[in-house]
Amino acid sequence: MTTDSTSTSPDRMDLTVGRQAILPLLVAFSIACFAGALVTDIVYWQTVAVTWETFSIWLITAGLILAGFAVIAFVIDFVRGKRGRTLALPYAVGYALAVLLSLINAFVHSRDGYTAVVPTGLTLSALTIIILLIGAWVGSVYRYRIGASI
Amino acid sequence: MHAVKIAHSMKRPRLASLVVAVAGLGLAGCDNGGGDPSKQVGANPPLPALQQFLVPPIKVAKVVAWGQETPTVPAGLQVHAFATGFEHPRSLYTLPNGDVLVVESNGPKAPIYRPKDIVQSWVTWYAGATAEGGNRITLLRDTNGDGVPELRTVFLDRLNSPFGVALVGHDLYVANTDGIVRYPYQDGQTSISAPGTKLTDLPGGPIDHHWTKSMVASPDGSKLYVGVGSNSNITENGIGAEYERAAIWEVDRASGAHRIFASGLRNPTGLAWEPVTGKLWAVVNERDEIGPDLVPDYLTSVRDGAFYGWPYSYYGQHLDPRVQPQRPDLVATAIPPDYALSSHVAPLGVAMYAGTNLPPSYHGGAFVSEHGSWDRTPLNGYKVVFVPFSGGRPSGPAQDVVTGFLDASNQARGRPVGLAVDRSGALLVADDLGDTVWRVSSNGSPTASNN
Repeated sequence: MTTDSTSTSPDRMDLTVGRQAILPLLVAFSIACFAGALVTDIVYWQTVAVTWETFSIWLITAGLILAGFAVIAFVIDFVRGKRGRTLALPYAVGYALAVLLSLINAFVHSRDGYTAVVPTGLTLSALTIIILLIGAWVGSVYRYRIGASI
Repeated sequence: MHAVKIAHSMKRPRLASLVVAVAGLGLAGCDNGGGDPSKQVGANPPLPALQQFLVPPIKVAKVVAWGQETPTVPAGLQVHAFATGFEHPRSLYTLPNGDVLVVESNGPKAPIYRPKDIVQSWVTWYAGATAEGGNRITLLRDTNGDGVPELRTVFLDRLNSPFGVALVGHDLYVANTDGIVRYPYQDGQTSISAPGTKLTDLPGGPIDHHWTKSMVASPDGSKLYVGVGSNSNITENGIGAEYERAAIWEVDRASGAHRIFASGLRNPTGLAWEPVTGKLWAVVNERDEIGPDLVPDYLTSVRDGAFYGWPYSYYGQHLDPRVQPQRPDLVATAIPPDYALSSHVAPLGVAMYAGTNLPPSYHGGAFVSEHGSWDRTPLNGYKVVFVPFSGGRPSGPAQDVVTGFLDASNQARGRPVGLAVDRSGALLVADDLGDTVWRVSSNGSPTASNN
């Protein structure tokens, strides 16, 4: 059986197509979860109804699981020497920071009662989104300049 | 296991607390052990500043078998296994004819509401606390008082997480987790097959976080007093889930009607009458996850109508920031309990000693069984202590009476739960991990171990 990495057999091509699609999908879904957690944190802060804190911790947990799969996908790409072109460097750094903050946030949100959210959990949820937005903004400028220089 | 701590301060700038949090991840090796527990025994215990954690400090004792070993007792006492082979024995009750009832029980399966609940279910499983309860009551009869029961029968079967038992005349009351049921009992009966009659519902599922319903009858037999634990550690299931919980109920035996006798008691797991004053006393399990030395569990007299703080405050009026909205009107009325047992010992049984078999130093005081908990490092509890009383009040430091539930390497061989005094005056200790009932008696009193 050939192990030629330049093989263009149909199944290998299918994998490549899948790989290109799956990483941005995982990243986008995890960011949606973190953004959702910020919304439910704000609602909890305003209502002090436990349901919203429960939404937040599950959203953060789901986001982290998706981020874990995204990291696996990224590492597979990296090892195969096929770095994804979908994530510019500022995006990637911002995303890594956001995931790290969300990991800490998951522990904070696992406390019992009000201090699971206010003030530290809510702050971390907001910082996560702010960092992602900054990464997106810097990334768009960065990509524009790279694009302009080509 | 080490924990990462974030100093709690509402005033600290948020960015700074974030920096502390991130830095804290790198300090995962720092020591978060509690101090000397004996300093927190007695009235007015010192209370350290409240802490909040990323990972609360826990230590789970690995479970090992007793083998040929037994617990350890001080000089002048002896201990041996009264009976073994139970299914999670939780509480004990001595009938007037000397028969001993062993309530074999465990709580309903805890629901998974948050990811944390999954982790906690692993911890409780590893600690051996998820063993199936028998949901029944076994009767032991030791006619000749040698510490070996000659008769063992299934007294009552197919119960629903039972805990408290009380006999008034020929009415035997069993406090299941969701209600009190009355059964007809004739003197000397060894098994009850008659259907029970429900006296009243008690707060049960669907969450039923603290499921045990401790129960005693008033001396005149007109009322039943029932300890109903909270439905959470600290209201994380919402304040609505706490309706009529964290309280001691007074149930009218004739009508089944109830009123809240005292409230703000997070988990009143054991009740007993103090013989000199005739007052009701309780052991109470306090809240977790705000430090290895917070909040001390306690033994207290229970005043009619009093509020003891939970969830809004602890030890009187120390506010718990995890509870919102706060109730300053209630906190203003909160009173501190009488006698701290130190933090996270998990007292689950109390027996006022009115017998004469044990040495005179034990007469008139309270035995308290400390089940032990994984919410603290180093471990605390896992023993039965004695609190001396004088004039109806605790009169000195607690003394270790039954120890050795942990072996030399801090592995758990057993965990003491329910206590009772048998007809001969010996102390009986239910061990829900070793599935044994231990009997502690004076040296020289007849027991099988003298053979």
